[in-house]
Amino acid sequence: MDITKALTGIAAITRHFLKKLVLSRKVFITILVAAFVAAVMGYAGAQNGVGTSDGADLLDVLILFFFMPVLAMIYGTSLIRDEIDDKSITHVATAPLDRGVSYVGYYVPLALTVSISMVVVNAAGFLAFFAQVGLGGEALELWGEFTALVVVGSFVYSALFLAVSVLLKKPVFFGLFYAFIWEGFIGSLPGAIQKVSVKHYLRSVGSDWVDFGSIASFADATAPGASWAVLAALAVSLVALGALLFRETELT
Amino acid sequence: MEAYGLSKWYGEVIGLNNFTLEVRDGITGIVGPNGAGKSTLFKLALGLITPSTGSMKGLGQVPWRNPALHSSIGFCPDYESLPDEATGREYLALLGGLHAMRGPSLSGRISEVARLVEMEPALDRRIGGYSKGMKQRMKIAGALLHDPELLILDEPLSGTDPLVRKELMDIIRRLHRERGHDVIVSSHVLFEIERMTHNVVLIYKGRAVATGDISEIRDLIDKHPHNIVIEGERVDALAKALLDEGFTVSVAYNQDRKGITVQVSRPDDFFNRLPALIEGTGCSVTKMYSLDDNLEAIFRYLVGR
Repeated sequence: MDITKALTGIAAITRHFLKKLVLSRKVFITILVAAFVAAVMGYAGAQNGVGTSDGADLLDVLILFFFMPVLAMIYGTSLIRDEIDDKSITHVATAPLDRGVSYVGYYVPLALTVSISMVVVNAAGFLAFFAQVGLGGEALELWGEFTALVVVGSFVYSALFLAVSVLLKKPVFFGLFYAFIWEGFIGSLPGAIQKVSVKHYLRSVGSDWVDFGSIASFADATAPGASWAVLAALAVSLVALGALLFRETELT
Repeated sequence: MEAYGLSKWYGEVIGLNNFTLEVRDGITGIVGPNGAGKSTLFKLALGLITPSTGSMKGLGQVPWRNPALHSSIGFCPDYESLPDEATGREYLALLGGLHAMRGPSLSGRISEVARLVEMEPALDRRIGGYSKGMKQRMKIAGALLHDPELLILDEPLSGTDPLVRKELMDIIRRLHRERGHDVIVSSHVLFEIERMTHNVVLIYKGRAVATGDISEIRDLIDKHPHNIVIEGERVDALAKALLDEGFTVSVAYNQDRKGITVQVSRPDDFFNRLPALIEGTGCSVTKMYSLDDNLEAIFRYLVGR
């Protein structure tokens, strides 16, 4: 394989879809989510006696627990599936690029868009809360730690939902089940069962970084090194699986 | 392009059925009614789908899992596939990037192909605002951008007005004559293909029912009776006169009694003799059309149904 050709192709697809995603109507969903998170955290921050730990708990519940898998699902299940369904994928599929390589060109802009969205949502919630509670050093440290967590999570969830959208013709149904039932419910159950969710490993990494809130004292946490390894292996294997599926898919 | 015993099923639906074909250099027209299998043939040629049975080669190579072949083939699909939110230039830049084209050479090539399809003034407008004809031109520009050896144009004239059709047909002819591209172009309108090439493949229900020079195919068609409707004043006299002619198979009055339907075995002889018959019988013809302009009817003749 010609590496230069492959990289030029990936860069072309990435530029195109990054622009398409960032300018799509889905951005309004990001804005609404950011506004909602800001409203909830702003209201919480206005109360007496709240502190950094409360802010950390709110970011944990609102973002890691709920909105990150949901936003990744909204962006991830539609990108490549819409292209396959409306046949606009023809341009990419008739290019002299291995389809597995082209798939990476879809993954990169998706992961970047979800990351940007989550960073915005995280920042909105953070500012709404800590602007009232106090934007000191520990608050900024907390913001940096959650920002890093949402970026890592965005890359993993994007890999999952993109692969699902190649595998299934109606990926949104799986996406809804996964985001709400699996991550939202199974991932919150006590005991070993929560280890089959992405959230568990994100919170395990977070428990190593964050010094405030319930995430800091996450009792069921997996060791940080093992958690990093699971998240990285999951993202890489899901991208590889999606690329393989895309290579073998007949584009009727 | 070569296909041998090629079949493609979509579940219980047959796309192509034991299809055998060898496409020569130059411009080749693939003609068939909607659902005949033209697009399936192209998808197989591009490796977008894989054959159920049989073999397919494009430029001597198997297309499935062979992206390198796409360097030599340019494809213009029959469906809306352009990104509405992008400008024409951005769209062509995306395609250029996919073909590892960059920098000034890509910019130069974009201008060149845009000029070729007469779209240079609209390059910086959003594709969403293009007319159907402009979108067709832009798709052809996209297919041409990497200067492929073979161009596959799937129904490039569909949905365009007569003027645009003529311009697109001129462009397609020029692509072969002046630029040396081999072109495979599909349509469900025989006369449109006839304006571009004499080398034709007729597809019907997933099979190649006739292949070769269009005059040979016309001969095949002409072996079957043609139905021609004639309307006007005093057509009964014309009907009587037609019954005396050797090429007439039958004459029947239409239900509204305003005209007749003539079935003829040799359409060319009929059309040559008709002016004299009209003059001789003193009838005045206000309308005349062939029921067999309908491609479906021609294909039914060819497959003996």
